[in-house]
Amino acid sequence: MVHRWIIGLFIAASLAATCAADEQPATPSTAGRIADRESRIVERDSPLFQLAAANDSPDQPDFNRFIESHCLDCHDKTVKKAGLALDELIAADMNRNAEAWEKVVRKLMTRQMPPRETRRPHERDYEAAVSWLESALDKAAAKAPNPGRTETFRRLNRTEYQNTIRDLLRLEVDVASLLPADESSHGFDNVTVADLSPTLLNRYISAAQKISRLAVGAASQEPGGETFRVRPDITQDTHTDGLPIGTRGGTLIPYNFPQEGEYEIQVHLMRDRNEGVEGLHEPHELEVQIDRARVELFTIKPPPKGESDQSVDANLKSRAKVTAGPHKVGVAFLKKPSSLLETARQPLNVHYNYYRHPRIGPAVYEVSIIGPFGATGPGETPSRRRIFICRPTGPGDEDECATRILSNLARQAYRRPVDAEDLRGPLEFYRQGRADGGFEAGIEMALSSLLVKPQFLFRIERDPPGIPPATPYRIEGAELASRLSFFLWSSMPDDELLDLAVRGELSRPEVLEQQVRRMLADDRSRSLVKNFAGQWLYLRNLEAVIPDMRLFPDFDDNLRQAFRQETELFFDSILYEDRSVLDLIKADSTYLNERLARHYGIPHVYGSRFRRVTVDDASHRGGLLRQGSILTVTSYATRTSPVIRGHWILQNLVGTPPPPPPPNVPALEDNSVSSLLSMRERLSQHRANAVCAGCHQQMDPVGFSLENYDAVGRWRTLDAGQPIDAAGGLVDGSEFTGVAGMEQALLNRPELFVRTLTEKLLTFGLGRGVEYYDAPAVRQIMRNARDDKYRFSRLIVGIVNSTPFQMRKSP
Amino acid sequence: MIILKKALPRRTFLRGAGAALALPLLDAMIPSLTALADTPANPARLRRLGFVYMPMGCDMTRWNPPGGDTLDDLSPSLSPLEAVKKKIAVISNLELRNAYPGTHATSNSAFLSAATAKRTESTDYHLGTTVDQIAAREIGRDTQLPSLELSMDLLSVVGQCDNGYACVYQNNLSWSSPTTPLPAEAHPRVVFEHLFGEQGGTADRRSALKKRASLLDSVSDELVRLQKTLGPGDRHRVGQYLESVRDVERRIQQAEAAVGENPLPDLDRPTGVPAAYADHARLMFDLQMLALQGDITRVITFQLARETSNRTYPEAGVSEPHHPLTHHGNDPEKIAKVAKINQFHVSLFAGFLKKLEATPEGNGSLLDHVLYLYGSGMGNPNVHDHVNLPIIVAGGAAGNMQGGRHIRHNEATPLANLHLTLLDKVGVKLDSFADSDGKIDELFKPISI
Repeated sequence: MVHRWIIGLFIAASLAATCAADEQPATPSTAGRIADRESRIVERDSPLFQLAAANDSPDQPDFNRFIESHCLDCHDKTVKKAGLALDELIAADMNRNAEAWEKVVRKLMTRQMPPRETRRPHERDYEAAVSWLESALDKAAAKAPNPGRTETFRRLNRTEYQNTIRDLLRLEVDVASLLPADESSHGFDNVTVADLSPTLLNRYISAAQKISRLAVGAASQEPGGETFRVRPDITQDTHTDGLPIGTRGGTLIPYNFPQEGEYEIQVHLMRDRNEGVEGLHEPHELEVQIDRARVELFTIKPPPKGESDQSVDANLKSRAKVTAGPHKVGVAFLKKPSSLLETARQPLNVHYNYYRHPRIGPAVYEVSIIGPFGATGPGETPSRRRIFICRPTGPGDEDECATRILSNLARQAYRRPVDAEDLRGPLEFYRQGRADGGFEAGIEMALSSLLVKPQFLFRIERDPPGIPPATPYRIEGAELASRLSFFLWSSMPDDELLDLAVRGELSRPEVLEQQVRRMLADDRSRSLVKNFAGQWLYLRNLEAVIPDMRLFPDFDDNLRQAFRQETELFFDSILYEDRSVLDLIKADSTYLNERLARHYGIPHVYGSRFRRVTVDDASHRGGLLRQGSILTVTSYATRTSPVIRGHWILQNLVGTPPPPPPPNVPALEDNSVSSLLSMRERLSQHRANAVCAGCHQQMDPVGFSLENYDAVGRWRTLDAGQPIDAAGGLVDGSEFTGVAGMEQALLNRPELFVRTLTEKLLTFGLGRGVEYYDAPAVRQIMRNARDDKYRFSRLIVGIVNSTPFQMRKSP
Repeated sequence: MIILKKALPRRTFLRGAGAALALPLLDAMIPSLTALADTPANPARLRRLGFVYMPMGCDMTRWNPPGGDTLDDLSPSLSPLEAVKKKIAVISNLELRNAYPGTHATSNSAFLSAATAKRTESTDYHLGTTVDQIAAREIGRDTQLPSLELSMDLLSVVGQCDNGYACVYQNNLSWSSPTTPLPAEAHPRVVFEHLFGEQGGTADRRSALKKRASLLDSVSDELVRLQKTLGPGDRHRVGQYLESVRDVERRIQQAEAAVGENPLPDLDRPTGVPAAYADHARLMFDLQMLALQGDITRVITFQLARETSNRTYPEAGVSEPHHPLTHHGNDPEKIAKVAKINQFHVSLFAGFLKKLEATPEGNGSLLDHVLYLYGSGMGNPNVHDHVNLPIIVAGGAAGNMQGGRHIRHNEATPLANLHLTLLDKVGVKLDSFADSDGKIDELFKPISI
């Protein structure tokens, strides 16, 4: 009975944490070694099912009493408020009503029920009730595990596509110019990815052609080029990170030169609405460099009086011989010694806009890289080294070499072992291209065909043949490897992972955990910062945030990017140092550069480089809730929004998002109430209106606690002359003041925050919304992490080992 | 950082002259496969719409045709249209009620939507679907591009534009939904690549399309193979993918056919943006002509300049910036200069119409088979009003539009009536559009004397 042991692994794992401590579950090591690929189906007559069923807790009467005395006044079959009749549910089989019971768990856990104005249970009783209910639900779930069903077809989204191309071909592409943005649901853009619209397909085909041409470095290439535009709201008075010290402004462009040859680099300067060059009052020197070596130095002078600025930047073109492959093109002005700039005072920190913030010196508008002229060949690029694992010595062995190259690429592109049938199509394309333009042209054609194959564009999870409906089964081998790599890297598995998977070794828990730790240590896991945290914390929205220029003249893109970087580095440090996830809430250090430190009013931080800075109470900085990024994305262009901030915290940190507002509720007009009233008084309207109050009573007090930060995250004690009142509260009824109070309230109930983060990670890892039947798995992950101070890696390993990650249900 | 599309100066500029580029669609060249009725050159049907936006209204005293219902005499601002006046109609006393309160942002945004712009400077902007996009859903289905959006201003303004209104209202003429503005492209090179791919030659285009078609074939083979190994639910999903494959196949076939039916001369990709405004504008008009002629798209919008533009027009003898001039405070000298700019913009449009007219197509000229609306969403810029809009309709003879006329409304009439009329003419039958209260039936009736 080999089968039963396989499922035993899962049941055992969930029981280990669920059942009473004196229970001895089957050790994972005995179960884990037996990996039989035929035995993926969970059998319901497993002895562990019966074990779980027999284990009824003796505390049920206590729980029943709790429900009776605190809930049944409203939620019995006669009143049935919110459609909930707990007296009926309690009599029935728990597993059949798991969805309703999970809601009860959440309401009790967050202390939202019973309502605040009624007699509230003692804290001890709350805990006992939640604990009994959770373990009952967990036991019921263990009897019939429901791992849910992820989509069979999951298209690589934009980020995954870009990363996969990077890892497959050692090629950095700008995916935003190749593919449209993805829709997002459940907070992440890797959820709604089962579609393939004609537009998308069209774009994938173009992308495949461009990428294969670039990767192979096709010899027939005519001069091409790209134009890079610098964001218009960047102040270019100070040093740009990555460019040599002693320069100011400009831009640094990582560019993949398709062939060896001569390239032209052309620069245009920022112009105002009258087509004049902005900030050009005296001569300036502009340097063009490749990999930090000067290519040319231009002097830019104002035109003679009465002449137009037309000719000023008409000839900022320089030519250079460049080898094929990735290089960094830099364009920057030489910094002039100027005491005036040093003493520039806030708020006139920004100079990027002709009307409101005139530039003090000229700025780069766009850079075009055109070429190659007189191309001398594809050179030796990382992409070519990756593709051409063999070279034909003559026409005789071309086919053999092509087959080797393509089987290697196809295995990685399809993320699984390939057979002759898989290679038939690509080889046909190879022969076609070979006939038209030689061996390399053949490889290019074949590569572009690989990149449009559904096996490449989609991650496909197939049900085992002949499986009965609604039956859970294990994800194994290459499919598990892809789940893992797309979770931790947002990219394809590497050779090591795929090899282990193909050999069936990923089913061994110790191998799996070792792989997770290896992958977390790898640079590719930075995608958890950019991609996961970027979406979870709304950092992505920063790009679209444009605070009112008149009210916040101090805001420019330099600050926007610094905001983003602070939070990314902060999250990154907690992930890589494997600290407790609770450190995200409260921290005594953060990451700053000069631009951001000036904005925060923290002295003695100089230069464009970010560094860790220890902060104290007086600086009002540290944890997530004190960071400009989050405070700004949760504000309006003109003012703070306690509602949005409150909603953000409830949704992303506490895990009790209020329902969306009813239709046709007008926004609170800024002018509808006297502006002499404070924000708090204006918002009191919300809570006065019964329709609004239900939710706003939850959101507004949460947001009020952050009122000491303005709409761009600066500390303030007055708002429009009125002293700030930062008294706030949380859904569980706790009351506090200010950001410190808010942080403490979150840390008092760490399980709320950790649960929310776990659910977000699980959503991201699975690419589907977290459902009620996932709750037992979430609880198990949390319990395991709790014993290790909620270290980040414990959450990640827990998710990877969880039922929904390891299993799937047939339709 | 914004990264634009691949670009390249292969040889030289696309030379500005239409005559050098135009290859007529001779009757003999219409392939026997395609019934004439299905091509845009169908003598009896109009399948192409264009819209040109002129910023900041005009000086009406120099705009309104002096005569009665005919265009025998042209006003100073319209005088450049002399050579093509038989193919145009001037329509007066049109208004945009939904553009109030009078602003620059709403002049632009209401021009094609006739809708009220939600007053916001943030990203929660809301307008209405514009007339061109409604048309594109119908007549843009069968072309390589459903529509083409062009403008003249390269620089991107951030933050507020007009008081209280997000810049999207001022920057974008076309909206494919109330919340989706379609950014316009001003860079001729980028437009060129959008239309013709990286290489403009007929042979290049054809071979590129062939490659795409064969890649697509391999996708559908693979999907069919995959479909056999899946359960019913997943098979259905693959069926949907196959639908998409077929849609793309159809567009590629159409594009291939278009390459054959509408041979364009081998084109050189324009390198950069011409230094002079007029050269730039003519190039953008040339690109429109090529797009129409090659049947690459049937719906085009073009913004001659943004509202509140401070551009100067030395070519027209005006060295002061446009926007301050329009707040002329009834200073006759300033008004005269505004009129000069109006005339200059009209002259660019007139040049375009002449080229269209010189290009034979089907039973007439290319001009006969397009319908272009030219005008502004602002009337008198000095007071920011949206009545008495300057409006011209050009072309359309194939659809029985009779030119050489001045259609005067006694009462202020919604501009949306004209939009509804144009939609009707290209086969989109709607009961109403925005605030319309009827159609302008006179536009397509023969003159009865």
